[in-house]
Amino acid sequence: MEVRMKGRPGEPGLARQQLCVCGEQLSAQASAAEPWPENAELYQQLKEEQILLSDNASSLAVQAFLQMCNLPIRVVCRANAEYMSPSGKVPFIHVGNQVVSELGPIVQFVKAKGHSLSDGLDEVQKAEMKAYMELVNNMLLTAELYLQWCDDVTVEEITHPRYGSPYPWPLNRILSYQKQWEVRRKMKAIGWAGKTLDQVLEDVDQCCQALSQRLGTQPYFFNKHPTELDALVFGHLFTILTTQLITDALSEKVKNYSNLTAFCRRIEQQYFEGQDKDGSAAVAARSAKRSLLR
Amino acid sequence: MLLSALQAGWLSSLLSRTGSTAWSLPALKTRDKGTISKTQQIITHLRKQKYNADYDLSATQGADTLAFVSLLEEKLLPVLIHTFWVDAKNYVEHTRKWYAETVPFPLNFFLPNCMHKRHVERLQLLWGDGYMEDEEKLEKELYRDARECLTLLSQRLGSQKFFFGDSPASLDALVFSRLAPLLKAKLPNGKLQQHLKSLQNLCNYCTSILSLYFPWDGGDPPAGAPRPVGAEGGEAEEEPHKRRNQLLSVVVGLAAMLAYAFLSGIVSIQRGSAGPAARQPIAMEEEEEEEEE
Amino acid sequence: MGTVHARSLEPLPMGGPDFGALGEEAELVEVEPEAKQEILENKDVVVQHVHFDGLGRTKDDIIMYEVADVFKAKNLIDVMRKSHEAREKLLHLGIFRQVEVLIDTCQGDDALPNGLDVIFEVTELRRLTGSYNTMVGNNEGSMVLGLKFPNLFGRAEKVTFQFSYGTKETSYGLSFFKPQPGNFERNFSANLYKVTGQFPWSSLRETDRGISTELNFPVWKTNHTLKWEGVWRELGCLARTASFSVREESGHSLKSSLSHAMVIDSRNSSILPRRGALLKINQELAGYTGGDVSFLKEDFEFQLNKQLIWDSVFSASLWGGMLVPIGDKPSSIADRFYLGGPTSVRGFSMYSIGPQSEGDYLGGEAYWAGGLHLYTPLPFRPGRGGFGDLFRTHFFLNAGNLCNLDYGEGPRAHLQRLAEYIRWSYGAGIVLRLGNIARLELNYCFPMGVQSGDRICDGVQFGAGIRFL
Repeated sequence: MEVRMKGRPGEPGLARQQLCVCGEQLSAQASAAEPWPENAELYQQLKEEQILLSDNASSLAVQAFLQMCNLPIRVVCRANAEYMSPSGKVPFIHVGNQVVSELGPIVQFVKAKGHSLSDGLDEVQKAEMKAYMELVNNMLLTAELYLQWCDDVTVEEITHPRYGSPYPWPLNRILSYQKQWEVRRKMKAIGWAGKTLDQVLEDVDQCCQALSQRLGTQPYFFNKHPTELDALVFGHLFTILTTQLITDALSEKVKNYSNLTAFCRRIEQQYFEGQDKDGSAAVAARSAKRSLLR
Repeated sequence: MLLSALQAGWLSSLLSRTGSTAWSLPALKTRDKGTISKTQQIITHLRKQKYNADYDLSATQGADTLAFVSLLEEKLLPVLIHTFWVDAKNYVEHTRKWYAETVPFPLNFFLPNCMHKRHVERLQLLWGDGYMEDEEKLEKELYRDARECLTLLSQRLGSQKFFFGDSPASLDALVFSRLAPLLKAKLPNGKLQQHLKSLQNLCNYCTSILSLYFPWDGGDPPAGAPRPVGAEGGEAEEEPHKRRNQLLSVVVGLAAMLAYAFLSGIVSIQRGSAGPAARQPIAMEEEEEEEEE
Repeated sequence: MGTVHARSLEPLPMGGPDFGALGEEAELVEVEPEAKQEILENKDVVVQHVHFDGLGRTKDDIIMYEVADVFKAKNLIDVMRKSHEAREKLLHLGIFRQVEVLIDTCQGDDALPNGLDVIFEVTELRRLTGSYNTMVGNNEGSMVLGLKFPNLFGRAEKVTFQFSYGTKETSYGLSFFKPQPGNFERNFSANLYKVTGQFPWSSLRETDRGISTELNFPVWKTNHTLKWEGVWRELGCLARTASFSVREESGHSLKSSLSHAMVIDSRNSSILPRRGALLKINQELAGYTGGDVSFLKEDFEFQLNKQLIWDSVFSASLWGGMLVPIGDKPSSIADRFYLGGPTSVRGFSMYSIGPQSEGDYLGGEAYWAGGLHLYTPLPFRPGRGGFGDLFRTHFFLNAGNLCNLDYGEGPRAHLQRLAEYIRWSYGAGIVLRLGNIARLELNYCFPMGVQSGDRICDGVQFGAGIRFL
């Protein structure tokens, strides 16, 4: 009403929003200069009963990346993490008063704070690194999503019970189906809907083969130092290797490449074990591992 | 070798076109139904062909191919779709115009619009619903990613002739098929285009592939690819103009037949479609190549 | 044969196509100058038959309840009064467009000399009525389609459907209403709905999809409502700049609650009352019937009006409420109370009192607010007896507080917290009555007792409201 009185059909609180935007930009610049705070938090879904393969993989990738940068982070599990995230994707980090989601933007954010893993690379290597990261996103992540939401047995046995676990009936069913529908539409848009599970596994194999080729006998993808690509590959492969699914088909594909499994073990040992005892990322890795043993 | 690369270029051009047609209405099939079924065979064919084209590559290079293909698909393709189909200015002044002129009469009124909607929907699925509202953010993040992708390609290419040395491979075909239309189309709103043009080695790379593999010395097909004629491009030239008039008359005739067929209900969509595809000269298909996405 | 037309005794408050004319015809009793008329007026009469003309799908039994009293009439005046009452009741059912009453002497073989027939000529509402509106709100426009099926099964049941298609959101509501035959005030209704709300003061967007069933019944002078509601609530941030506290509340929840409301309203008008009092007590218990939200919520509203000299009215009101979460989960931002705004604690911006985070108001678990008003007619009383009566000037003194409670502290600490940091304001302004639903206020306010974080509206404040302090 007050807005209309002023003859302004625009947004309510327009002025305030602009203020906020300005404020945010200012604080963004300011916080870029600020050092990494001790109380940085990473949000993901409930570890034991809720989180799904793909989200767990993405979360582990971010944790690995931050560990590699030697930045402390506390993992916070929330049932509504997905809806808290500004992009609707998990994980996201809350640093100072900034909220950043997904690995790509987090890498940039961390870089603005003066931490980078890929500074030592030349231009061509950087291009290749980006390309391989997209390979992982395009193939592995999509395959994980396919398995989770398009393979009927997995959907029924694992995905729906886990995804709906924090909610009471009938919300658990509704939300699961809603999400399933959304993912399937996305799959359709990128042309994956028509694929069979075997075709998807074939794609995963192709992707692993490419990664394995690229890694060769090096300790990391680009020689001696880890990059965000290593974090991403570790996040996905380690999660695939250690998560109990209906069939082992997916992890078997990865296990065929011994240098990749060795790579996962190496990163796990270096960054997640023998760290501080309350290192929550380590706990994440370990809990994931437990599920392998089960 | 050359043959394989040529084929790869060809096939990817076809492939990319299928990319564009696959999301459109079945109505589009009326135009090149023959081509589609053929393309699908070709896609499977391509798998084998690709390994032929990549025959010389080492395993690592094969891996790189896969990685860069992913990079293109994830970062460049959506923004290309946006540039050609969703960006209002480009869509109205370039893409729709072009389609309206090329597609036979009754379809040209709604087909471009249908495709437009499909593309919008696709992007919505990829980027979430909110992206349309936040133009600034889109401009900032997604176009930045796409520009970065182009830069990365440019860096990867360096001063080489092709991505993997002196001989072309399937990656070259794919990159070319994505970049050529962006480079040659006359877009009113060409932010991404500007960026591509500033990357000299990519431009040279596209032009050299054009002249190497699409010279169409026969003269009969008006070499859509080497001199990619957009909607405006065609008017500048005398010959294609004439050709288009001929085309148009054929198209009008076909449209009338089609309309009759539809109305009488005898002929199904696919049946009616075989005609134009068969009759249209190859120029049609080549022009289309730069239109995809 | 003497014929008596008794159309109406006084103009009816309800709207209808022929009421404008009725006002003039009120008390119209045409009496033909015949010998028999004398007899009828003086003698006792018996209503022998009640006829209905124009009934279609309406069932007889429901009509029966409404006209039963007509048979009890003992003389002509009584017949006319009872018929008029029956007519009012019939119109109140909301199933007739028009009801006319005709009183005639009885005819036929069994006709008594003092027998009367009462004939109701009714026009039923159409089976389906529709409406169409466009609305323009701040930042969005919407189109509202309404469909109404009155008297669906012939016993005054009603099904309404509303669909609003907006530039940003779509919402709908489907409701079924069934009164008890013969007792319209006792009724049952069921609703199915989806609504979306945007709350810029909290940077919050809420989408509710729910079903509810409601039972209304009067007890003595009070009206009671028992309600069960199951809502699937989806909360989200309105903008990326929303504070983290609001972000933490995002997501889905399912609330299943039982609530009871009691209302005593003796005021003569709900918007600009001159006399009478209102007491509303509302209690809601969520969580025991399912869902993942558990709390007990109590709130009340009290208003007392007293007429003074020179048409001025003194009014005092008091609101209060408390929300007690049950279990470990803290209360949700969507359930808490909010205070402030042009019709609550004036001088403060809309819902901008109390706990906040980065400029987003989070609401409180307990609140109270009180107001003292002196309403007077406009100075020099322009437009008296007409347009001017829609306006009042008022002087007000408001106070209130909103805070969160720590339930470990005990009741004494609660009272203390509510008594600390009281926000208050005073001022004067003009009130405009909008129909009988809402009011507009233009006030000049002096906010006092402002705490850091509150957003004030010092000086001129304009607003509309249905509920007002």
